[in-house]
Amino acid sequence: MHLVKEWLQRPYVRRILWITVAITAVIIALSFVMVAFMNQSGGPASSIMDEIEKTMFVLTIACAPLMAATLAVLTYSWWGGWGSVAATDAPTEDGPGIKTNGVAVVTWITICSLLAGFLVVWGLVELATITSSSYGSVPANQQPNSVKPVDVNVTAQQWLWSFEYPDSGKITSSVLVLPVNVPAYFNVTSLDVVHSFWVVEEGVKIDANPGAITNTGFTPTKLGTFNVRCAELCGLHHAYMETQVKVVTQEQFNSWIREQGGNKTS
Amino acid sequence: MKRALFAFLTVLIGVAVVAATALFVSRNGAEPPTLAATPAGTAQTASGEVKHATLELSVFPNASASQPGPDIPTSTTTMVANAQQWPFYSPSTSIQLPANALVTVTIHQYDTGGQIYNNWFAQPTGTIDNKMTVDGKEVTSIPPANVAHTFTIHQYPESNEPAWYVSVPLPAQADNAANEANGYPKPIDVTFSFMTGAPGNYVWNCEFPCGTGYVQFGGPMSQRGFMSGTVTVV
Amino acid sequence: MSTAVAIHEEAHVPQPKQVGRPGGFLRRTNFLTALISGVVTAGVFWVVTDKITTAVAGAGATNSMALPSGLNINITMMYIGWVIGFMAGIGAFAGPIRWFLGHDLTHADAEYMAGKDMGREKFWKFTTDHKVVGIQYLVVTLILFGFGGLLAMLIRTELGATWTEVFNPNFYNSIIGTHGIVMVIAMIIVISGPIGNFIVPIMCGARDMAFPRLNALSIWLLVAAVPPLVSNLLMGGIRDGWTVYQPLADQAPIGMIGYQICIITFAFSTGIASVNLITTIVRMRAAGMTWSRTPILVYGILGSSIMGLVWFPMYQYSQILALSDRTLLTSFFVPASGGSVWLYENLFWLLGHPEVYVIVIPATAGMLEYLPVFVRKPLFSYRLAVAGIFGVVGLSAVVWVHHMYMTGWAPQSNYPFMLSTEMISIPFSFLVLVVLGTMWRGKPWKRLPMMAVYAVVWNKVIGGITGVFLSDTPVDQYMHGSMFVVAHFHYMLMGAGLFGAMGVTAYFFPKMIGRYLDEFWGSVGFWTAFAGFQVTFMSMFVAGLQGMPRRVLQFDSLFNISNWISTIGAYIIGIGMLIFLYAIIESWRNGIPAPDNPWGGKTLENFTTTPVPHENFPVLPVVTSGPYDFGTPDPYELADDAIMQQTEGAEKVSAQS
Repeated sequence: MHLVKEWLQRPYVRRILWITVAITAVIIALSFVMVAFMNQSGGPASSIMDEIEKTMFVLTIACAPLMAATLAVLTYSWWGGWGSVAATDAPTEDGPGIKTNGVAVVTWITICSLLAGFLVVWGLVELATITSSSYGSVPANQQPNSVKPVDVNVTAQQWLWSFEYPDSGKITSSVLVLPVNVPAYFNVTSLDVVHSFWVVEEGVKIDANPGAITNTGFTPTKLGTFNVRCAELCGLHHAYMETQVKVVTQEQFNSWIREQGGNKTS
Repeated sequence: MKRALFAFLTVLIGVAVVAATALFVSRNGAEPPTLAATPAGTAQTASGEVKHATLELSVFPNASASQPGPDIPTSTTTMVANAQQWPFYSPSTSIQLPANALVTVTIHQYDTGGQIYNNWFAQPTGTIDNKMTVDGKEVTSIPPANVAHTFTIHQYPESNEPAWYVSVPLPAQADNAANEANGYPKPIDVTFSFMTGAPGNYVWNCEFPCGTGYVQFGGPMSQRGFMSGTVTVV
Repeated sequence: MSTAVAIHEEAHVPQPKQVGRPGGFLRRTNFLTALISGVVTAGVFWVVTDKITTAVAGAGATNSMALPSGLNINITMMYIGWVIGFMAGIGAFAGPIRWFLGHDLTHADAEYMAGKDMGREKFWKFTTDHKVVGIQYLVVTLILFGFGGLLAMLIRTELGATWTEVFNPNFYNSIIGTHGIVMVIAMIIVISGPIGNFIVPIMCGARDMAFPRLNALSIWLLVAAVPPLVSNLLMGGIRDGWTVYQPLADQAPIGMIGYQICIITFAFSTGIASVNLITTIVRMRAAGMTWSRTPILVYGILGSSIMGLVWFPMYQYSQILALSDRTLLTSFFVPASGGSVWLYENLFWLLGHPEVYVIVIPATAGMLEYLPVFVRKPLFSYRLAVAGIFGVVGLSAVVWVHHMYMTGWAPQSNYPFMLSTEMISIPFSFLVLVVLGTMWRGKPWKRLPMMAVYAVVWNKVIGGITGVFLSDTPVDQYMHGSMFVVAHFHYMLMGAGLFGAMGVTAYFFPKMIGRYLDEFWGSVGFWTAFAGFQVTFMSMFVAGLQGMPRRVLQFDSLFNISNWISTIGAYIIGIGMLIFLYAIIESWRNGIPAPDNPWGGKTLENFTTTPVPHENFPVLPVVTSGPYDFGTPDPYELADDAIMQQTEGAEKVSAQS
């Protein structure tokens, strides 16, 4: 322990630690900026997107001290904290012959492993959380208000999305309309090449593959109009393969279904 | 000082190469010249009196002496090879329409076809009353097994533009239809009308696989000037 | 310090009979004959294939109606003819053919092929001398970067002109894919090519690589692979990203075949080069160079070559199967006939992931190699660095599915692959500790290679944290397929990879070329490009966070500002790189001549003359110590010892009294 105390007495160690603290603060501030950019088109519109933003904060804050320490050593060396030799000169003497430092190595590996372990555990728990809200692995009788979910068959084609509501008499639409606070489950496929169904503000994405049906889902928590984009290059008009998801009240949804010529079954 | 000059020269040469390449490619990838809809006075719709414009297009199964292919540089067509055999929309795929107007489009269809992959595209959507006229008869859908092409307008990636979606299927000629003097059979005429909204940029393409390669969505399907183009609402 | 000791007597080796003049057929071959031969053979193959397909499928068979894959077959055979003709024209088959005829190559032939006493002409021929091959790789790399950079400028121009389509979407889709694959190929070879070939054998104390003729074969196969790739833009383009996902690639015009033939050929080139490097490093190190005295750069190149050798066949195979789907109408990747798109994605990413380490490990190892020289301290924890390199090499095999989190292929697999992907950050962190530990309390000599280390570690930190975000599956659900991913891999491959390669090249330039790289203009170019790089890709992170997908030429006006800023940054990168290119060319011609030991290093290449003689060392060296033996005793340690001695002394005194 006295070794650590003695080490902390060294002037450069204290300076580097202060620089680390300063950079950590900057990184934490940046995490707010990052999430602000993610919210620019309207903000999270489902619990999945909320979880994703929370994870961005947690990951950044967890990694910040280690990143800051690395940058602090870099900065101190570059600034000439330990001196420097100008490009026009040549070095005349060697530095201290430190071949290794057992304490430093063990400490570093331990911290990195613990950090990696934390990131893994957090990530796995988050993944399980959003998966259960995506794929409906929570049994229907445990759902709070036993709302019947909306099923949508998403068909991706070059270069359009079409959404079919099988429960409502096979209505098809180019715009995705969903009732708020009702879980929506999607069966996604493609009729030609690989596309990717990305509902941006709801935080879900799943590839649309030819010859297979993939699944995702979310519960919209906010009313409004949000973006559906294609996230896998699919040819000439990949950039134009966008449509909208309109989250409306249950009554508006029912009347929309009737307008399209369908029969609401629930 | 001499080195500074040569460094500057290197940068200048680099910039010149980039600019020259950009100009060369830009010119050679050009699309057919813009085809503007013809103004046709006004018309009565459910929401009152609006501007009216008409547009006439044809779909040919391949280029020939009587119908040279799309008006794009031959360097583009030779680059993709066999383009002479491709179906194309004539006279142009770069379309201009007036804003907040009723547009009536007539398409003369000369090509054969087959089964469409997604039956939803066998019905007109986004037209007035979701109807269209085929050779004078009003229909709300055509047999999905006998589609030649579609004319499908959809949205540019602007999230604040209103979603605009108009899609019309074009019925196919019979496989054994007799050819007339110009080398093509008697056209099937499809007419439909739709409303345009605020000015904006849109794209359109055919949604019936009439191309080459995987599921026939390659070739002409993926080439501007043939089976896809732009729609500018001004 | 190494001492030069003569170990072997000159032994008399009975030579085969000399047939003709030394060099034989190779006296007549060079790049020009190879080009002519390639073009002629391509034409012959085209004509013959056309005749055969017409005979089999009727007149007009290459017309898509008669034989759906007709033209594809012609183009494929044409490119295959080009590769075979080019290699024959450069003289690659001379050795095997002469063996077949019973006329083995003699010592005089080998000396001719090694370019002994040949002057400039040897750079245009099938030369086996590893130093010549290293320079050839350097030139090819510069050309590839130039072409990839040109495409990058076009891409950013399109993205910056947010109000219109500057280029047709098909052309745009083609240039993003071509830019990607050209840059990936250039980055794979940028260190293993010039420095792996030129420096590593000398650094190991050998006279040449283990297989000199295979060495020449690998560079000329690379040269043969480039025209098919570049020509794709004249044949309709590939219209797909560099990953050329099926089945979109099947819809592409004939330009796609150029890409596929390029990769198939390049995979052979890489495999041969990897075998050569691995054998040389494992078997031909100088006497006394135990594994504990092997320079870290050598370890890095070894690890990277192992990864390349094992995984490149996956990528090659994916392209062979794709080509077969296109020409023979098989259905490996056609779902309707029983194929699978996920098969393609797996085959691709099985290479695709280790490949980024093939790019980053040599750059990192190169910097670890010269960092001790510039701070005049030993490499901190050399064994940890080696463990880090091989930890990355080993784990790189089991992380590829993190590129496929969103494919829906096997959602359950996302859990274990998220675990393995986070785990790989641990050996990577070993390398970071080694850099920091070497820098610690060292006085940096502020020449360009040293300054490059600062730039690279900065980029690595940013690339690293954004990699942590992407490895987390829930976050990837938002970020996958967005510009955030593009910015992340540019920070790693270009920020850490390319800028690291620029530093490593500046370090070895004096030994390879005989002159120092111009310090002023090299630095101006480097830092201009670095500044532009930060602007471009930080802004691109913003675009990704806002929700901009990748591979799009038109997008929501929400992303306009970040794209304008990125484009301006990209133009600055272009200017910086052009200045750096100027520095390379000017220094090559008129730079300050370099001494035998340009930087005061202790690795073996510093103990032969500059320029390096034909046989590398007059007498092969014997190694007696490690290459990082810098450093004076640590004053803090001495102070501790002094206190300990004082205390012991006082105790002794008090014990005695």
